Amino acid sequence: MIFRSRYRWTEMGLLLFPAAFLVLALLELELTQGASTALTRNTLPPIDTFTPAIGLIVALAVTHVLLTIFAPDSDQTLLPIAGMLASIGVIMALRIGSAPGFNAPTLGAKQLAWVILGLGFCVGTVLLTRDLRWVRNYKYTWAVVGLALVGVTFVNAIRHFNTNAPSRDVLAIGPGGLSFQPSELVKICLVVFFAGYLSENQEMLSVGSVSFGGVKLPPLKQLGPLLFMLGLALIIAVGIRELGLALLIFGMVLSMTYAATNRMTYVLGGLALFTVGAIIAFSVFSYARVRLQIVTNAFDPEVYPVAGYQIVQGLVAFASGGVFGSGLGLGHPTIVPASNTDYIAASFGEEFGFAGLLALLGLFMLLVFRGMLVAIRARDPFNQLMAVGLTSVFALQTLVILAGNLKLMPLTGVPLPFVAYGGSSVIANFIIIGFLLRLSESKT
Amino acid sequence: MLDTYAVLLILRIALVVILYLAIFRVIAVARREIKVVEHAPASITRGKDVVGHLVVIDSGSTPLRPGARLDIEPITTIGRSPTNTVVLDSTFVSTEHTRILFRDHSLWVEDMNSRNGTLVDQNRITSPVAVTPGTILQVGDVRFKFAV
Repeated sequence: MIFRSRYRWTEMGLLLFPAAFLVLALLELELTQGASTALTRNTLPPIDTFTPAIGLIVALAVTHVLLTIFAPDSDQTLLPIAGMLASIGVIMALRIGSAPGFNAPTLGAKQLAWVILGLGFCVGTVLLTRDLRWVRNYKYTWAVVGLALVGVTFVNAIRHFNTNAPSRDVLAIGPGGLSFQPSELVKICLVVFFAGYLSENQEMLSVGSVSFGGVKLPPLKQLGPLLFMLGLALIIAVGIRELGLALLIFGMVLSMTYAATNRMTYVLGGLALFTVGAIIAFSVFSYARVRLQIVTNAFDPEVYPVAGYQIVQGLVAFASGGVFGSGLGLGHPTIVPASNTDYIAASFGEEFGFAGLLALLGLFMLLVFRGMLVAIRARDPFNQLMAVGLTSVFALQTLVILAGNLKLMPLTGVPLPFVAYGGSSVIANFIIIGFLLRLSESKT
Repeated sequence: MLDTYAVLLILRIALVVILYLAIFRVIAVARREIKVVEHAPASITRGKDVVGHLVVIDSGSTPLRPGARLDIEPITTIGRSPTNTVVLDSTFVSTEHTRILFRDHSLWVEDMNSRNGTLVDQNRITSPVAVTPGTILQVGDVRFKFAV
């Protein structure tokens, strides 16, 4: 710490990896798309430009320079890890977009634009949160913003209640077919609010004063927001049918509460509530039963053509990748519906194989590890809890969607952070990286 | 000359290798950082002379807010008189009620012959008692918890 120069050499060195990955991946894509080998059946014109690779490398480099100027002491591994994941995302969007039958040649360019925009938001967050106190002081404003976003989604859900759209959480804005997923920003607002609430009531919650059936509980005033958050997750699950978001909020609330109080009671109580809720949902709502049926009986000849097609084809994609994968550009990922969003892991798994998937998981684990390290090193309880909450959002999202893809639990449409195609998700995740970068500065 | 298949094979291997190299590189950085932290002198991390915190659990009849964190200095006095480090405006608290000292890397609580006594984990103390984070301290009708 003492003899370290101010220039972020480590970050620059680590950023060489995404850069090398982008250049080599584009080279491979060009070869597989252009060359008329027996391996490919691609008929679309080849990707004959290195713009995506150069664009992303330049964007990462610019972000790196801006961080050197504005946050020289922040963590140097977060940007390279996120950059690596985002590079995978852009390459996969490029590859899937140009696949025959998918017919979206601009998909890669769009994802690239989202990532560059996301990096801009990341730097913007770093600049705006120079003094983290204002973030904490307006914690109720954040809560209101979060609730307003949920409310908007809720109205939208009621409007489309009869349509069978799998997700009701998409808002169309503007004429260009641009859509926006409010839930992505809801997560951040709720983490900020909950970190503010927990850091103020940490001791009350961990000690407890009202004895209730042998268990010491804090008074209702302190317990209120906690119950409110759990209720919110329930409303989202039932009203908007956005199970993924509900799970995310639920898990985030429990991890933050556990981190703040060090009491297993809350986690066990939360899990008990979850079990009760799941049983009730299962017996009352038919869609919950259908979701579970898909997981348990996907291979059933009667279920497969109606509801099991996606999940079975996803498993086939994983399996056909084998250990080393079919090679980028040489698989057939577009057979699986939503191969660029919900099933991006299957697409990646098919072309990069088990080895590649393990590396992807390793990158996510490193991201979570660095985030928790930020939390441990932070001085202030609010900063610590915010780092814990934001990191748990990454961890939970990755777990929920990967478990869904692998048929370990019902599939919920949660985007795989940075990798899945989608503007709101990429931007929200880069805002989280911005917060973590600011939180990692030892001075705050 | 290399044919397309050979180039593709090399590229495929290279892409996965890059992913793993990136992971190992980040781990190497993390290991180095942890070593630096271990060897850094501990003194530079402390700006103010704060050796711990008292967290208000039950404010009794004082205007303190439950959950508030008060700094513990190497010598901290608690009582009703404004000369104390921590002033508790309550009729149940004596003018000089309790003293907290930092000695031998530990915090000690000592009663200053108060009228209502000092309770550590609900036991009235007669001699200095060493406390750890999590210990409950009661001064008059005010209850605190020790925290780091």
